[in-house]
Amino acid sequence: MVEFIIGIILLLTFFGLAYYCIKGHNLMIGFLVITIIWTVLPLLGTLFASSDFLAANEVLQYNGVLGNDGLVKKILNNIYQTAPEGWGTTLVNVCWGAWFGRVMMDTGIASTLIRKTVELGGDKPIVTITLLNIVTALIFTAMTGAGPVIAIGVIVLPILMSLGVPKAIALFSFMGSVAAGIYLNPVNFAQYRAFFIQPDQMPDFTLSWYAAHWGYAALIIMLVVTTILTGIFLKKSKTSRAWAAQTRGASTPQKDAPLYTLILPIVPVVLNIALGFSVIGGFVLAGFAGLFLCGRMKGTFKENCQLVNKLYYDGVVDTAPLVGFLLTLPMFNTVATYASPYFTVVLGEVIPTSELVICIVFAVLIFMGLFRGPLTLVGCGAATLGVLSNVASFSVPFLYAIFAIPTITVNIGSCITQSWVAWGLAYTKVESSDFLKLSIPNAYVTGILQYVAVFLMLTGLGAAWYI
Amino acid sequence: MTKDDLKQALQPIARGLFGKQGTNRYQRPVFTSYPLETMLADLTAIPPLAWYPYVFSREPLNGKFNDGQRREWMEKAWKCGEEYAEKMSAEFGTENPVLLANAMKMKVEYPTLPEKTDRVLFAEFRDPDNIRIYMDAVKKADRLLSDDRVREILTDKLNVSKLLLAHELFHYVEEKYKDEIYTQQEKIRLWSLGPVHNDSTIYALGEIAAMGFAAKLNDLPYAPWVMDVFLVYGYSENEACGLYDEIMTLVGKGGD
Ligand SMILES: [Zn+2]
Repeated sequence: MVEFIIGIILLLTFFGLAYYCIKGHNLMIGFLVITIIWTVLPLLGTLFASSDFLAANEVLQYNGVLGNDGLVKKILNNIYQTAPEGWGTTLVNVCWGAWFGRVMMDTGIASTLIRKTVELGGDKPIVTITLLNIVTALIFTAMTGAGPVIAIGVIVLPILMSLGVPKAIALFSFMGSVAAGIYLNPVNFAQYRAFFIQPDQMPDFTLSWYAAHWGYAALIIMLVVTTILTGIFLKKSKTSRAWAAQTRGASTPQKDAPLYTLILPIVPVVLNIALGFSVIGGFVLAGFAGLFLCGRMKGTFKENCQLVNKLYYDGVVDTAPLVGFLLTLPMFNTVATYASPYFTVVLGEVIPTSELVICIVFAVLIFMGLFRGPLTLVGCGAATLGVLSNVASFSVPFLYAIFAIPTITVNIGSCITQSWVAWGLAYTKVESSDFLKLSIPNAYVTGILQYVAVFLMLTGLGAAWYI
Repeated sequence: MTKDDLKQALQPIARGLFGKQGTNRYQRPVFTSYPLETMLADLTAIPPLAWYPYVFSREPLNGKFNDGQRREWMEKAWKCGEEYAEKMSAEFGTENPVLLANAMKMKVEYPTLPEKTDRVLFAEFRDPDNIRIYMDAVKKADRLLSDDRVREILTDKLNVSKLLLAHELFHYVEEKYKDEIYTQQEKIRLWSLGPVHNDSTIYALGEIAAMGFAAKLNDLPYAPWVMDVFLVYGYSENEACGLYDEIMTLVGKGGD
């Protein structure tokens, strides 16, 4: 009985967290507070719960306060030390990815790539948009973070607008393509993978395996749907020629990067997927190749060191707002395992255990990935995952994919709470509602097709893919 | 401790917990500021054809052109605009853009602001026959024009609303005569693969000709691109100064 009441209280705090996230409050603090509540309640519960319940759940058994089997070492240290430490590996990838993004911008490789792409399309907006979307997606398979998105956005968006593409459509198309690229981004992959398993668990679940079994399909679906919808939206809106003006600053225009360096943005990902080459190794290799080939390393040794250093600094600053949240989340992920026995008591009968039903339910509830809602991993979806994975048993790749869709397609690609979408709205002066009118249909069409792909490609996996 | 004291003491904690998510808000950079008269005096002194570096800086295909092409196209497009201004005013018997628009059966609207709250949009032409002049920009400009010094520099020839209308009228003319007009006939080959190739018109040419057309109809003694800075100034002095700096740098007079 006590376990049931605690389960209900935990469930209420979960809805409280969802509300808190949707209201746009600070995510890091929100998750820290919920972690503490979810530590205290389940542990207090062990003092009063029925002995059958405790005997059935090994995670809740401890022996006194101190000692190796005691409360502090067995449970508290696990939540507040081991868990965030385990995310160190993920964080290192994020930092190197951010550095690489800065290098691609500083060398002019990214901007040259965009300009050359536009020069292939000419006065046919839909051709230009299609090419730009493909290139944008390719670029963001390797680069991530608000810095690179903004750097590419300030090139792409004015070009689209000057071709007569209405701003909201230009913004929607660009943000959708960025998100499509994220599906194959090794840094995001490492980051989300850590929600499901420890970095050293399940070594076969690599980016290469994931890409071949679902990742390529997810990227292509999002890219194609976004581009087709852009075409449809464009058809509906009349072409217009506007007299407007906006300064781009008096800075001297950047020189074009050499043509053969334009391949570098996708080198880290290709090396990783094709050869199993390390992600960070790829970033270092392609990053320095870019710096040397574009003549950015022609100064003295000291100047070169300063440049590399500055790019690293700027890159890490780009990702800083994310880091606090990322290092609080693993505490929460771990605490969810201690809370899950209580959830099972309440929800065990309700939560579907069939993969097909889960796909359908998630597809219908796609909107819950918006506004940091209960389906996005970079929002309170982390809590949903905690409940779902502990109450029912699904394979890791399947779980990964069903949560990747609301996280990437919906939150990153379609939601105004995503940092760089918020930037884009301010930059282009597009109303949030005008953006959402375009992005939510895209989230649904893309998301549903991606869930179909999940069902076709990732269901019924063997025992090796379960933990 | 009173209730208010307690509230005050708890406020910082509540803010820390429930403060809004600190997403990176985009902030426009701050530019050096200049007096409006100085900027207008400098900009009106730029001969129309000398504006080409600024005009082409907004052209998506600019990277494919050399400076010789830009100069040549600038001259031809500007002339094309002037010629069509003469042709149209002869055909319809008026140089007044408002009467011309009537004669061409254009649907001209004067809304205050664009629907999509794009604030720094002055006017637009929508296929096939719709022109919108955004009065918010015009009224802000008229307010600035009530200053004698500004009026003197920009001269009495300037009627902002008519100038905008004339510019947009050209886009209609361009569409109507697209099979023969220079701005739609000049094309650049972007790529070719055997028999397959992609030839594109050049976006900037239509804009240049529209300015030539508008300047001619309004008998304006300077290039209408001056309006880019002048109209933006009504919304944001900072933005206008940044634009002025950019133009002066591009046009090559240095922004001292
Ligand atoms: Zn125009």
